[in-house]
Parts: sequence; C-alpha cells; structure tokens
Amino acid sequence: MSILSYNGSAMVAMKGDNCVSIATDKRFGIQGQTISIEFPKVFQMGPHLYVGLPGLATDTQTVVEKLNFRKNLYELKENRRISPKVFASMVSNLLYEKRFGPFFVEPVIAGLDPITAEPYVCNMDLIGCINEPEDFVVGGTASAQLFGMCEALWEPKLKPDDLFETTSQALINAFDRDAMSGWGATVYIIEKDKITVKDLKTRMD
Amino acid sequence: MTAEVNSYYPDYATETPKQFQFSPYADNGGSVVAIAGDDFVIIGADSRLSTGFAIYTRDQNKLFSLSKSTVLGCSGCWCDALTLTRILSARMQMYEQEHNKVMATPAVAQMLSTMLYYKRFFPYYVSNILAGLDTDGKGCVYSYDPIGHCEKATYKAGGSAGALLQPLLDNQIGLKNMQNVTPAPLTLEKALALLKDVFISAAERDIYTGDKVNINIITKDGIKEDTFELRKD
Amino acid sequence: MFSNNIVENSYDPFQMYKKKPETASPFNFVERSKAPVTTGTSVVAVCFKNGVIIAGDTLGSYGSLARFRNCPRIIKVNDNIILGAGGDYGDFQYVKDLIEQKVIDEQCLDDGFSLKPKSLYCWLTRIMYNRRSKFDPFWNNFVVGGLQDGVPFLGTVDKLGTAYCDKIVCTGYGAYIAIPLLRDAFEKNPNPTEQEARDLVVKCMEVLFYRDARSFPKFQLAVITKEGVSIEGPLDIKQNWEVAYVTQN
Repeated sequence: MSILSYNGSAMVAMKGDNCVSIATDKRFGIQGQTISIEFPKVFQMGPHLYVGLPGLATDTQTVVEKLNFRKNLYELKENRRISPKVFASMVSNLLYEKRFGPFFVEPVIAGLDPITAEPYVCNMDLIGCINEPEDFVVGGTASAQLFGMCEALWEPKLKPDDLFETTSQALINAFDRDAMSGWGATVYIIEKDKITVKDLKTRMD
Repeated sequence: MTAEVNSYYPDYATETPKQFQFSPYADNGGSVVAIAGDDFVIIGADSRLSTGFAIYTRDQNKLFSLSKSTVLGCSGCWCDALTLTRILSARMQMYEQEHNKVMATPAVAQMLSTMLYYKRFFPYYVSNILAGLDTDGKGCVYSYDPIGHCEKATYKAGGSAGALLQPLLDNQIGLKNMQNVTPAPLTLEKALALLKDVFISAAERDIYTGDKVNINIITKDGIKEDTFELRKD
Repeated sequence: MFSNNIVENSYDPFQMYKKKPETASPFNFVERSKAPVTTGTSVVAVCFKNGVIIAGDTLGSYGSLARFRNCPRIIKVNDNIILGAGGDYGDFQYVKDLIEQKVIDEQCLDDGFSLKPKSLYCWLTRIMYNRRSKFDPFWNNFVVGGLQDGVPFLGTVDKLGTAYCDKIVCTGYGAYIAIPLLRDAFEKNPNPTEQEARDLVVKCMEVLFYRDARSFPKFQLAVITKEGVSIEGPLDIKQNWEVAYVTQN
C-alpha cells in the first residue's frame, strides 16, 4: 500500500465561464478505518485562490502551513495579491526542494487571477510537476473514478450553477466507488464577486 | 535509478525491462460494459489487445457468444480468456447434448463461477462480465472476480477502465445521487448512447482502451452485432 | 489379493518421519522456469491480397554473442501452412519435430485432408498454454501463415499462449520497429500486391538489421499463395553505411 493512499481523499477542480470550482471529500481515515468526517483538505490562500492537498494527511497539514508562510512573505514583499499561476510555481518549488524525500501530497489549485479574473486550475504530482489543462484536474485515491466522471460530464463555458452541479455529481459519484474517500463533500464555486461554499450530504458507507 | 524511484514512489512506477523472469500472467488490458433492460441487454468491449506500451492488435473481439441469448465479455490476461472461453463453450455443448436444451443465462452464470473457483489457487486472470436474457426474457448482467465471486446486476463496467466507467453508470443508469427523478424503464436507444459515451470517456484516459467497440445487442430475436470507432492513439 | 490395499490405506505411525514425495506444484517455479539459451530475434509477417509473407533472419544468438549464423527459423509445414519462430531455438526445434510428426500422422491417414493454418494455430495455442501452466514454457513466439480454404490467414502465439490474428504480425524487436512502418504502409494501401508486400517486408528487415543489435544481414523470406509455398534464402540485406562518414568529426 502506497503512502499516498494511507488516509484516502478525492479532489477535483474545474474551469467554467468566468468561474472555477474546487471540491473535496471530508474523510480522514487510517487505511480502512474512518477517524473523522470533517477533515479539511482544501484551503483558502487568497480572496479567489484555493489549494487542495490530497494525500498523506500529516503532509497536507504541514504543507499548508509552509505554503501560508511563503505566500504571506511574498505578499508582504510585493505588496500585492499572489496570482494562481505564481502560487502554483511556489507550490511546485516547495515540493521540488524535497525531491528525494517528498511530501506525499498531490496539490490541486483553483482560482481566478486577481487582475484579469481569468479562471485557472492546475494540479501537480508529489514532486511538483505542474499540469495546467483547459478543462479539469483531479487528485486523490478516487482519481481514476474522477477522470471517468469528469471526462463525461465536463463541457466548456459552464455557468456557476451548472459548474456546481457538474463538479458535485462528478465528485460524489466518483468517491461512492472508492472505499478510501467520501463521507461528505465540500464544494467551492469561485466567481469574481462571490464565493459559494456548499457542504454536501452524501452516503456514509 | 529507475528501480530506486519505483521503490520510493510505487504510484509512479513504470515498467522496466525484467529479463528472463517468467510470469505466467500478462495484462492485455481491455474494458467491458454491459447494461440490462427489461427485454434486452447490451454488452460492449473495446477491440484493443495490448501489453505494456505495445498494441498487439487493434481488432480483437473480446465478446464470446455462448448461446443465442448469452454473451460473455472477457478482459485481462488474454491467454487465460482464450482458454476459459474455449472450455466454457465445450461445457455449453456438453450440456446441450446431455439435456437436449440450451443452457439458460443464470445457469451459465453459476457454471462460470464454479469454473473460475475450480482454479482458485492458479486463477484465470480474467475480468468477466456475462450478459444475457433469463428464462423470462428479462435482461441480466453478471460480473465476476478472477476467482469466481459472482454478482448479479443491471449494469456493470469491468476491465482496465472499470474504475473510470462504473461511477458514471451508477449516476446515469442507477440514478445515484440524483434528486427529484422518477426512475423510468431504460430504453435500448438510451442504453446504447450511454455505452458509447462511457467508452469515449474511457478511451480519453485509459491507454488500454481504444480503437473500436464491439457491441452485442441481445433481444428475444437473437444477437445483433454493432461496432463503433474510438480514438486510436 | 486385498492385503496390499489395506496396508497402503492404513495409518502409518512413521509417516511424519518419512521424507515427503516430491510433488509437482506449479508454485515451485524457481527450479522449473528457465531462460532462453540460443535465441532468434524478430519475425516479420504480413498478409497481402492472395497470400502471406513471413520473414526472419538466420542468426542464433547466444546472449549477446552472434553464435550461429545459419539457423533457419521459417519453415514450410505443408502446402498451405508456413511457420516462423522467434525466441529459444532449441524449443523451436522441439516444437518443429512435434509439428512434423503431426503432419506425417495426418498424411498416413491418407484421407485427402491436410492440416489447415487455423488448426495449427489453435493447436499451438494449447501447446504453449499447457506448458506455461506447468511453469515450464516454450520460450517462443510463433507466427502461423497460410491459406485457410483459399483465404489468407496470419496469426501468432507467444510463450504464454496469448494468441491473435491480424494482417500484420511482428514479434520481438519487430513489434517496436517494424510494426509502425507496416501499419503506416497498410493505412495508405490496405491491400498490397505480392510485390508491394515483399518490398515492405524486405524494407522492415533492413531497418531491423540497422537497429536491432541481435539481428543479422542474412534472412529467409517465405511466401505462400495459391501457387504454393516458396521459402527463399538466405537472402542478403542490402547495407548502406554512407552515413557513417557523415557523422564522423
């Protein structure tokens, strides 16, 4: 069993029409045993910037602290908000510094550019190789299931309401077929002047 | 170097040439999907036969019709699939000659389970999905693990893209996580459209699924065959 | 009369101290499995309009040593089957003997029937699968070509018993080097003539000779059509090393 699937997680981020979404499950488990069902894995890093850290839970927590530190230092130095793209490079750099003893997280980043409000999603592997697709990114133990769902459900130029429905359906149906993730979900819809956070009730088995 | 990386990150392991170590099994990929309706059942399998990063052939039918109302879809270790289906069709013939009737789908399902478990300690490494009409003419699907665990279902995805396909079927056919919907009986047209859709999605992300889908449509009138193209890269 | 039975079936108090007889467990594979010794490399085969071509070079490699330079591994089985083999040469010779005996047995029946390519292909599948199930495989890739009731047939079987038919079949390094060339050519011209197919196969053998370190510039080329079987060779691969001077600095 890989360390990346020790705690279990499912995460997805999608691009829409002037909006992005990021969604995560809420389970924290130790292999088959569920410990908590309200474990945060997605964190707000700016007014329009979120990062999800699926993988080993202890590294999720460590990495988010390190990222907050670096991001704050950047914003203090530059006196401006960090853009999603720069933030992605920052995460990538942090991970690659530990190339031969990595943090076991596969980050998912979603956000809007602070100036242009351009939607941005990306993910990377545990040593920081960035992938910036046009459509969606997935991560965690349910990634195969998520790929199947997203590949079928996603379409270009989704409005915020449709994006929420698509993201939620993709995530929930995916983690219902993964024993390691699930137990509730949180969906964030990021628009220029509004952020909607919804907690979803899902099957708890 | 590669070996070291593989031990560090098992999730990122890629195949390295292991010379001369004999393994009796091979993973030849392939995906199978079956969907049952009230008076029909459809089963589809992609036609790519591959191993590692090489494609053996782009045109290998993985559906085996066992009778006029029963079809088996096999994927996994192709040499085991060939052997299993060959024995299976021999057993079908023996049954027909002994009992002077064709074996019904539920009976085939039970026999397949027994045959797989018979090789419990040297299994056929095959992911089987059996589709057919039962004695009442109702569509049914049975899925198996390599050692003979059998489960009856109305829809099932198996093989290399099973994990990608199954949640979508749960959602679209099982109507899982849908609110305010009234379950309507599945039509053949809807089932066929969905089958094609899920294979197109799977071919995007699974390198072992692609080239073409062979579809068998089983109704009381017999088996109708159909194909449609998938991406070939 | 029955005493033997009673003795054999009775409880033996010393049983646990006796050495257990060696049982042939399929999991005892460490001593049973083996590595190929003298090997042949790729086999290249294509179907054309009214027949099949199979080609393979004549080298028997001993590890990296080019040890035997005249090892024919394309054979005529009967008037409507040709067979090519890659992998262990000893295993090939053993299977070849089995096949030849099979053909003789068939001839002895004198019923006017002879083995057809699909039958040989199917039979080889079983032979290979049964040996792999004993963890003692024949370390070969076989390519069966022929005319099945006048229709070209081309199939292959590997050491596990994995079998498939296609218009193009290549084993060994050919699967990586020759297949892309052949698939490209077949996409442009799905039904080549005998001459076109032959040129294609010869080209593949040439490319394989340049890039496969276990290859050899002599090869056999077997053609089967309605007119019968012809096994040509050893033919020479035309070599051109002009580029060697270009790359020199």
